[in-house]
Amino acid sequence: MLTKGMGLLVLAAAVLAFPSLAPDPFILSVGVVIMSYAVLATSWNFVGGFTGYISLGHASYSGLGAYGTALLVIHTGINPWVAMILGGLGVAVLAVPIGIASLRVRGASFVIVSIAMVLILLLVFQSWGEVTGGSNGLRVPRPFDESVLRPEQHERFFYLHAALLAVALLVWWAIDRSRFGTGLKAIREDEDKAQSLGVPTFNYKLTAFVISAFFTALGGGMYALWFGFLDPIFQFSILVGSYMVLMSLLGGIRSLLGPFLGAVIVGYAVEFFKNQYGDTQFHLVAMGLLLGVVVLFMPDGIIPAVSQLIDRFRPQAASIREVSAGELAEQRRTASGPGASTAADPATDDESTDRLSEGVQR
Amino acid sequence: MTETATGTRIGLATECLSKSFGGVTAVDGASVQFHHGKVNALIGPNGSGKTTFFNCVTGMIKPDSGRATYLGDDITGKASHRIARAGIGRSFQLCRVFPRMTVMENMLVAVRSTSLRHLAAPARSTAEVDRARELLSRVGIDHLENSEARDISYGQQKLLELAGVLMADPETIMLDEPAGGVNPALIDRIATLVRDLNAEGKTFLIVEHNMDLVMSLSDHVVVFDRGRQICEGPPSVVQSDPRVLEAYLGI
Repeated sequence: MLTKGMGLLVLAAAVLAFPSLAPDPFILSVGVVIMSYAVLATSWNFVGGFTGYISLGHASYSGLGAYGTALLVIHTGINPWVAMILGGLGVAVLAVPIGIASLRVRGASFVIVSIAMVLILLLVFQSWGEVTGGSNGLRVPRPFDESVLRPEQHERFFYLHAALLAVALLVWWAIDRSRFGTGLKAIREDEDKAQSLGVPTFNYKLTAFVISAFFTALGGGMYALWFGFLDPIFQFSILVGSYMVLMSLLGGIRSLLGPFLGAVIVGYAVEFFKNQYGDTQFHLVAMGLLLGVVVLFMPDGIIPAVSQLIDRFRPQAASIREVSAGELAEQRRTASGPGASTAADPATDDESTDRLSEGVQR
Repeated sequence: MTETATGTRIGLATECLSKSFGGVTAVDGASVQFHHGKVNALIGPNGSGKTTFFNCVTGMIKPDSGRATYLGDDITGKASHRIARAGIGRSFQLCRVFPRMTVMENMLVAVRSTSLRHLAAPARSTAEVDRARELLSRVGIDHLENSEARDISYGQQKLLELAGVLMADPETIMLDEPAGGVNPALIDRIATLVRDLNAEGKTFLIVEHNMDLVMSLSDHVVVFDRGRQICEGPPSVVQSDPRVLEAYLGI
């Protein structure tokens, strides 16, 4: 517990110190891109990590959030941050019917529905030129006035993304330890079994889906305000959705910080390959290879793989030997006496010692 | 309305329940009554529709026609979580637990939440964890509470599934082959548990092929063949019924 807290403090310090350590504005802008990916991947993980429904089309919600924010700022002139939050809420409302329709199917069918959603939105936003700017793109007014120069913008947006990421992580953490989260994880493991135990699975899935769409849309909106230009082909791209999945899988979808870690690695790699081999599309090949390696060798992601490695050096888990009905009754009789849980019974010696060691750990 | 002539209370009952898959009629107009507060057994040859009957009654699949009632209330075609909340818990033929969750987390899934605030609160509340520990110690796997469910043995997973069902505190517990794939010592333990829980007022409905277990444990036996009931009664009567011997033992 203490080491976890220390780890988080170090991580937070590293994130906060990054802008002052970054050697030039380009590296700082890479940092902003990575934080934006981290927000999107963490938001994706509300559905992917908790319920196990793998959506390849989460670019739908980041794209809608981005366009929603931009169009609100352009047409109503309201405060851009208010526009971003309204955009997020709007997408959350839209996610209710989308979720009701798409969460009825599982596995591959769900993946295909999610991809279909992005492709539909791509066509709509490309064709509906008078509102979205179509393929010519949409220029988004800057939230800060002209006196704030580029590097200063990058720095501000780096911290804003970090704050949004912190909120998303906090909500994910709270759900993870809640009863709601326990139900969601049960859905991930065995949906029918969870329902037979009384978990209203559909409502749970839908709620997680809407929360995920909300945070993804906020991430999209914030990106729009930073980047200042939207083009449907990049906003509603299968690639963006795949990145969210790849990052989360790489880091570990069952871990709080898994998507963040994945975003740092994949985000850095994408920018590196784009920079070095920009003309060759090599970054796509590299991403494909990385995804293959993850699925084959670390299906649970980096964080679980590393923590399992560490666990090997810890005292081994309890014995799995079974006891008979008589032994069990005997155990329970002795256990009900004061301090008797550690009393060694010859027949169940190994189990008693396990209890003892567990008692110490507690 | 739920009393028979002999004064036995009827818990779970079905009327003309049918379910077919393509050309196969798995459950064919089954009208069955189970006694509330007793240990009921449902036996029959493989493919006689016992598990499909189970799944229809617990809402896992929707029956094509017919009615299922529980203590007089219609539960036909209701979603399985609603049936669970009505007081019917079940285990699965091929034991199902949540593999990548710890034994304790497996237990806490069954906790009911009625308010948003309760739902958003941490899952590991003292009262619920204590209750889960009590049940785990009752089935004899409390020392495994921090192990992941996929790491424990099959027998222990069966016990965990049973403890998880008990955590939801159902009145009626439906067990699909509780003795399947476990060693004799463990069968003995499961039988003891069923007897104890029944003495505390739980109703059981058990699908099982282990005849010794069925005959020693149950108060009321229903025999299925080709998707419908062919015989019912106390073990002594059922055991000697010629239809049962023919269908089940092929004599």
